[in-house]
Amino acid sequence: MLRILKAGLQSTLQGAPRLGHRHLGIPYAGPADPLSMALANRLVGNTHNATCVEVTFGGFEAEVEADCAVAVTGAAGRLSVSGREKSAHETWHLRTGDTIKIDPPQVGARTYLSIRAGFKARAQFCSTSTYLPASLGGYEGRALMPDDVLVPARESVMSESLKTPDALRPIFTHAFALRACVSAETDLLAPEARAAVFSETFTAGRQATRMGLSLEGHILSVASDGKMKSAPVFPGIVQCPPSGTPIVLLCDAQTTGGYPRIASIARCDRHLLGQVRPGDQITLLHRAPDAALIDFTEKQALLDRWLR
Amino acid sequence: MSAKLTPVRIADDVFEFQVDTSRHAQALASELRSAGLAEDVVAGLDRVSIRFDPARADQVTTWLAGIQSINLTGEAAGPIIHIPVQYGGDFGPDLASICEAMGLTMDAFVAMHTESEHLVEMIGFTPGFSYISGLPESFEVPRLGTPRPRVPAGSVGISAAFTGIYALAGPGGWPLIGRTQERLFDPEAAEPLRLRPGQREKFKAD
Repeated sequence: MLRILKAGLQSTLQGAPRLGHRHLGIPYAGPADPLSMALANRLVGNTHNATCVEVTFGGFEAEVEADCAVAVTGAAGRLSVSGREKSAHETWHLRTGDTIKIDPPQVGARTYLSIRAGFKARAQFCSTSTYLPASLGGYEGRALMPDDVLVPARESVMSESLKTPDALRPIFTHAFALRACVSAETDLLAPEARAAVFSETFTAGRQATRMGLSLEGHILSVASDGKMKSAPVFPGIVQCPPSGTPIVLLCDAQTTGGYPRIASIARCDRHLLGQVRPGDQITLLHRAPDAALIDFTEKQALLDRWLR
Repeated sequence: MSAKLTPVRIADDVFEFQVDTSRHAQALASELRSAGLAEDVVAGLDRVSIRFDPARADQVTTWLAGIQSINLTGEAAGPIIHIPVQYGGDFGPDLASICEAMGLTMDAFVAMHTESEHLVEMIGFTPGFSYISGLPESFEVPRLGTPRPRVPAGSVGISAAFTGIYALAGPGGWPLIGRTQERLFDPEAAEPLRLRPGQREKFKAD
């Protein structure tokens, strides 16, 4: 059991994405970086999507109100328990009265805090994930605030101590190379714009939210009359509004949109979108869809040796 | 009837069909959703997208390649729902400028909007947001140059020839003509959405 002392810029409870409800206008939500959350859950013996705290840009502190096992993964600044420095990617056995502190990271954006058995959270539309615009799931559908008390779903101590294998610890930098495919309206791009999408380096814009992030630095010329009919979009889809500054959609993305869909980040690399900070460099590496699915299968097989 | 249905890959894990009308899109989406093979089936106004689990890629590819036609029999239309709207003023801050641009009095606009029968074509964007047709095709109301950071729940806007209702408060780029007090999205209700695609609907001045 944890009592929040400081919640930072935005901390929410996230579990499985809310699949299967997009036709009602209900986005997926879930962790912006699902791989880091799965790794956090593995260290405390949970299934991948057990409910965790997603902390944005650190600044998080909590007091332990009952003995428990927790783990921290994702973007990690200095981590400490009651003033003693701790490492990410290890099981932490905490005692009543301890204080957890997650400082702002220098690279990456989001940190995941798991607890043995997962945090108790409100399930709506088959998921505990917080979706703030509609106040769904999580802790009363809202971001965490000081004095909120997070309760584990069951007994949350464990005897085992685990460490993520070194080779499987994601390393974040300020540059992201993401595999990507063409999408439904890629052909509306002028030839030089189409070449630019898959070769130029873009800079992540100042608005980098759970809904989306803009790719700045190269204005793309798109032949759209602005009257495209609203069409389905998903996390990973890259839209290009008339301004020519593309927007990559993330986990909280709207379900439909009226802008040309000019690319899609491949499923194998979508988890990295959750770690992009404003100002980071992004390059899209072109892949054929079937090749991208093979990449996904291979990456998953590698991770499954540890995660399963 | 449209030419052969051809699934197009719009992401490594998403196929999409283009169809003639939102009625076709909704009918095809329902049929595909009931097969239970997709992670999500979403209808746009003239598209249906299918996101799948990569582990099922071959199965889904074969399945979708075999879709030949859309069965339009579907459900009965059901009774007309009446949505009360308070037009203009603080509830519809853009109504006056829309009327001015179109050379209509506000009374004439409200009469036109309340007299015609409307149809919910699609739910999308955010939970419960409804795209509703029924305005004359000649309507060409452009979206706001800069979206409002927050419009209240129940706000009624128009864009092109569509009426849209914001079921939840949030950012919004549609010019606003009024507001309804009806609750259109209730996550705790057995039927969370008051309006569904295919629903016939009339607005009434409140």
